[in-house]
Amino acid sequence: MLHDSPALQALAWSTATIAAYLLAKRIHQRFALALTSPLLLAPVLLFSLGAVTGVQYLEYFRATHWLGLLLGPAMVSFAVPIYERRAIVAQHWVALVAGVGVGSMLAVVTAWLLSSALGVTGPLRLSILARSVSTPFAVAVSRDIGGVPELTALFVILTGLIGASIGRLLLRWLPLRSGIARGALFGMGAHSVGVASASRLGSEEGAIAGLVMIFAGLSNVVLAPLLLYAMR
Amino acid sequence: MRPPTIELRIQSLIHRHVLLQVALVALLWVAGEGVVRATQLPVPGGLIGLALLLAMLTTSRVDAGLFSRGAHWLIGEMLLFFVPAVMAITQHRELLGDMGLKLLGVIVVGTVLVMTGTALVVDACVTLRHRHAAR
Repeated sequence: MLHDSPALQALAWSTATIAAYLLAKRIHQRFALALTSPLLLAPVLLFSLGAVTGVQYLEYFRATHWLGLLLGPAMVSFAVPIYERRAIVAQHWVALVAGVGVGSMLAVVTAWLLSSALGVTGPLRLSILARSVSTPFAVAVSRDIGGVPELTALFVILTGLIGASIGRLLLRWLPLRSGIARGALFGMGAHSVGVASASRLGSEEGAIAGLVMIFAGLSNVVLAPLLLYAMR
Repeated sequence: MRPPTIELRIQSLIHRHVLLQVALVALLWVAGEGVVRATQLPVPGGLIGLALLLAMLTTSRVDAGLFSRGAHWLIGEMLLFFVPAVMAITQHRELLGDMGLKLLGVIVVGTVLVMTGTALVVDACVTLRHRHAAR
């Protein structure tokens, strides 16, 4: 019966996706581990459901396409936290611009050089270029430069999860004197997962991490196509 | 006491309902997409929408209360919007095995370099500023 009507499929798979997400979120709130991130847990739940019902991926994608479209409004939404923290932006704009500039350059250049050295080429290399920034920006960049958006989304998630752990280790070794630098480290290297880690260090760290994450996303949307053009 | 005007009533309605605020944010995104389509700018429509909203907020043309709860809700539940994208991994068998390990290497080494570089530059900026201010 489910195979006959696209509307029914859309309703069924959208409901299943939202339910899996909400359940994963509850579990993550309970355990707060990188491995229980809703972005890993919800797909696992859906995979098992899909395996049981024998759903085709294309069918699933058509049914839940509208959820991905909401990333557009999510990007617009970042104007509000920027506005709310305008005092911090005015006070620390030099450090923010310098950190985001250097960080974005390093992110794109290291991804390109490391992939080339390891023999990762073609669309895979393009897809990993944008992985350092928050996903709505990264997915948009990936689409613009010829990467595979869903692979970039996966790399972004992995970067966030791995980056948050790496960041905690780096804090022990790097001689950082300011909370602003600690926040920038997490916001630049591990986007939203990093912002959560930085917020646990303090409110200044959290606010800066959020701003750096947003500005890094914005600068990458502009920078990545230019850099790619220069490296060709 | 005079009854509240229609404008005020609409405003307080939007203040109370997250879903209406989300719709307002979505409207700005649609406007951004329209601008991108008309001008052929090489940026996503969401970016134009963000710039529009930020410009309106900083010039006090709109009240932040009309957007803030909706915007924070969209940002807070953003992971949900990626779940369909992550499901696409089933279509990419090339990630399993050797290639997957290489990509993991790129992510780990790249992230260490990005974090170290960013943190040191920002720390230098802040330290320079303090020294400057102390003088």
